[in-house]
Amino acid sequence: MKRHNRQFRCPALSAPTAKALAVLVFCLVSICTRSLAQGGGLRFCLHAEPKTFDPLKVDDDASGAIRYLTGGVLVRENRQTQQLEPGLALSWKVSSDGREISFRLRSGVSFSDGTPFSAEDVAYTVQQLMDPALHSPTGDVFRSGAGSVETKVISQTQISIRFPAPVAGLAALFDQVAIMSVRSPKKEMAVLGPFMVGDYKPGSSVVLNRNPYYWKTDAQGRKLPYLDSIHLDIQPNRDVELLRFKREELDLINSLDSEYFDKVSASSPQVVHDAGPSLDSEQLWFNQVAKAPIPGYKRNWFRSTAFRRAISQAINRDDLSRVVYHGHAQPALGPFSPANKFWFNANLKPQIYSPETALKALQGEGFRMENGTLKDKEGNEVVFSIITNAGNKQREHMAVLIQDDLQKIGIHVNVVTLDFPSLIERMTQTFDYEAIILGLTNVDLDPNNEMNVWLSSSENHQWNPSQKTPETEWEAEIDRLMREQASAADLNKRKEAFDRVQEIVAEQQPFIFLINKNALSAVSTSVRGAAPVILWPQTYWNAESLMVAGK
Amino acid sequence: MRGLQKKIAGHLLGLIATILIGGFLSASLVRLAPGFEVDERELDPHLSAQSLQALRDSRRQDENIFHFYLHYLSQAARGDFGKSVALGQPVRTLLRDRAPLTMRLIAIGLTLSWSLTVTFALSAAWLRLSIYDTATTMLSGVFLCIPAAVLALLSVLWNVPGSLAIALIVFPGTYRYTRNLSLKAYAQPHILAARAKGLSEARILFWHVVPVVAPQLLAVAGVSVSMAIGATIPVEALCGFAGIGQLAWQAAMARDLPLLVNITVLVTLVTLLANSGADVIGSVIRGQEA
Repeated sequence: MKRHNRQFRCPALSAPTAKALAVLVFCLVSICTRSLAQGGGLRFCLHAEPKTFDPLKVDDDASGAIRYLTGGVLVRENRQTQQLEPGLALSWKVSSDGREISFRLRSGVSFSDGTPFSAEDVAYTVQQLMDPALHSPTGDVFRSGAGSVETKVISQTQISIRFPAPVAGLAALFDQVAIMSVRSPKKEMAVLGPFMVGDYKPGSSVVLNRNPYYWKTDAQGRKLPYLDSIHLDIQPNRDVELLRFKREELDLINSLDSEYFDKVSASSPQVVHDAGPSLDSEQLWFNQVAKAPIPGYKRNWFRSTAFRRAISQAINRDDLSRVVYHGHAQPALGPFSPANKFWFNANLKPQIYSPETALKALQGEGFRMENGTLKDKEGNEVVFSIITNAGNKQREHMAVLIQDDLQKIGIHVNVVTLDFPSLIERMTQTFDYEAIILGLTNVDLDPNNEMNVWLSSSENHQWNPSQKTPETEWEAEIDRLMREQASAADLNKRKEAFDRVQEIVAEQQPFIFLINKNALSAVSTSVRGAAPVILWPQTYWNAESLMVAGK
Repeated sequence: MRGLQKKIAGHLLGLIATILIGGFLSASLVRLAPGFEVDERELDPHLSAQSLQALRDSRRQDENIFHFYLHYLSQAARGDFGKSVALGQPVRTLLRDRAPLTMRLIAIGLTLSWSLTVTFALSAAWLRLSIYDTATTMLSGVFLCIPAAVLALLSVLWNVPGSLAIALIVFPGTYRYTRNLSLKAYAQPHILAARAKGLSEARILFWHVVPVVAPQLLAVAGVSVSMAIGATIPVEALCGFAGIGQLAWQAAMARDLPLLVNITVLVTLVTLLANSGADVIGSVIRGQEA
């Protein structure tokens, strides 16, 4: 066997060629190093057009996402630990009466256009935010009493803010307040967060570029964020979003529904994440409004605690979770899910599904079963309709399952779906409905942000809004407890009061809480550093520490 | 010439009247739609009673439809088309930003649709093969039966351009009419005689068939523009294209009165211009022939 030994000779390089090659190699190495050191571009979808880039006017999810990624805040609530962490403020102190908060600020921080940051910017932001004419949801949560807010700039790095009345959970509310510059000519486009708006194509996309002046560094002292940019495609259609994710045109989906979760999971189990029960709940409630255009005998059923509790008992929540959410939901116990580590009342008992007990309880109230149909004392058949928003497959499906469950105790339910504006009109203006299934998207941990849901005088007290005086004793008690927790400075006392509210709600069932959906998301394997959590924004809460490989 | 001027003037008057009536009807329908007076933001528990009231008051500004429409017309005359309630941006900006995409979709969609139509219709008339004719008629029938939304979804699923979906939505409407016209034209005695004399098919087509069918085809072309505009709503909404069709869908869902009225007026204007244009050109052609 003949063996050929080949010898390769490197041709002699001329000096200019060698120099050119060296430059080329240097450039390639620089490019590679730069892309590793920074972290590429992340791409995901917003589901609607952002209404504003002004962080103080944010009242929609898309604008909220941009504010989260671009806004610099004094205090940041860590979405993983649910604890407050220093942001632009190194430290803060709330006065014993809960009316004043003082911040010590970082020095040497600049806005994205290079304008220096100081206490005057904080004062300006708070004054703008609290302008009554702005009607900002972010500002409204600070309004606990009549009067104006006073800001006192002590030095370039120290400021105190005094409110006319105690504000519960005051420090945590600053998580939503993106500081604006008083001096920058770029106004709200000068930001202190990790990214800044680079390009906006209406209806199509928003590109966020890394803020070169961002103050934060990682443990090794490298400047954050790692990502060079975030490309936010405006894509209302969830099917298209899923398809694009599968085609690897997107890096993450922040919120998946259970059906899509299973579809993605079947083909790529490594990209989906189920972070467990979220703060969001789905609930059913009956119309208890006195002037509602419904028959009086039906209003009497809906106002009866025993009736509401029996309905709650007759609903099989495990089935709702298993069938509708494919197991990616947990039966709900009350207003807050166990995901809210501090405020959830762990003493609440799960609602046991028992149609027999429910029927007995109803019979105890004078209802009777005749030929498989439940009738009240006056002989009226127990029939009512549940409305929900058309197009929400899960709610429609839940309504049908509840219809089946209640049929077992002789109650006939009609399921009606309406488009969202019609549903809101019935719910808030005409009160022309009997029962509703709807969800509460909860982004706040503190119950104080739900004052407008629980106070009987509030317009968002959905089962019976705008009561002049509480119409029931238990609503009066909830009012008292909610006010008590709002004015208490001691966190444990607040917790005690809100625990009692949760117990009253579980006893009285004004909202029949059905399930808490799990926080489902999908993150491409090319995204490094992702750790999806239950709190919004589940997948990109730590956007400054994310990297995208191979881009 | 005088007749043509009269025709154009008549079209212009009709156009203005239709736009005014169309805009008013659209405004009235939106105003009467359930859910007009409410806003999704009312459910935000963060809002104070004052903010909630301000939100409702802003919605009630448009309560009186006559007042709204007169105000809208006077503002529009000055170039101010109002502000979108749902998106919070000037309607003029929204339409200006999104019009190019929609116009491109419609232009490509119509070009594709008419290419398919003319190819199939003329070849069917020219070949006179019953199998071919049945096959093309069945093909157009299939696309006629498939809902526009399904075609849009398929285009997303198969990653094909949305303009193709628009083309396939418009195609059945234009094909059947064009085919019938072509068959009728080819069956005329003078064309049979021309064929017998040995004239080339190209000469027959361009000298004897096209002049006969052109005025009627122009009318169909005008109608196809409105069909294509209608098709952009499901296609853009389902494919996620940021065009006027998607905007119309969002506006309808949000009961966005200023936006819907403007879109109605715009669509009416384009449709009428297309139809009137086709009619006037058709008249010119017929005049020349006469």
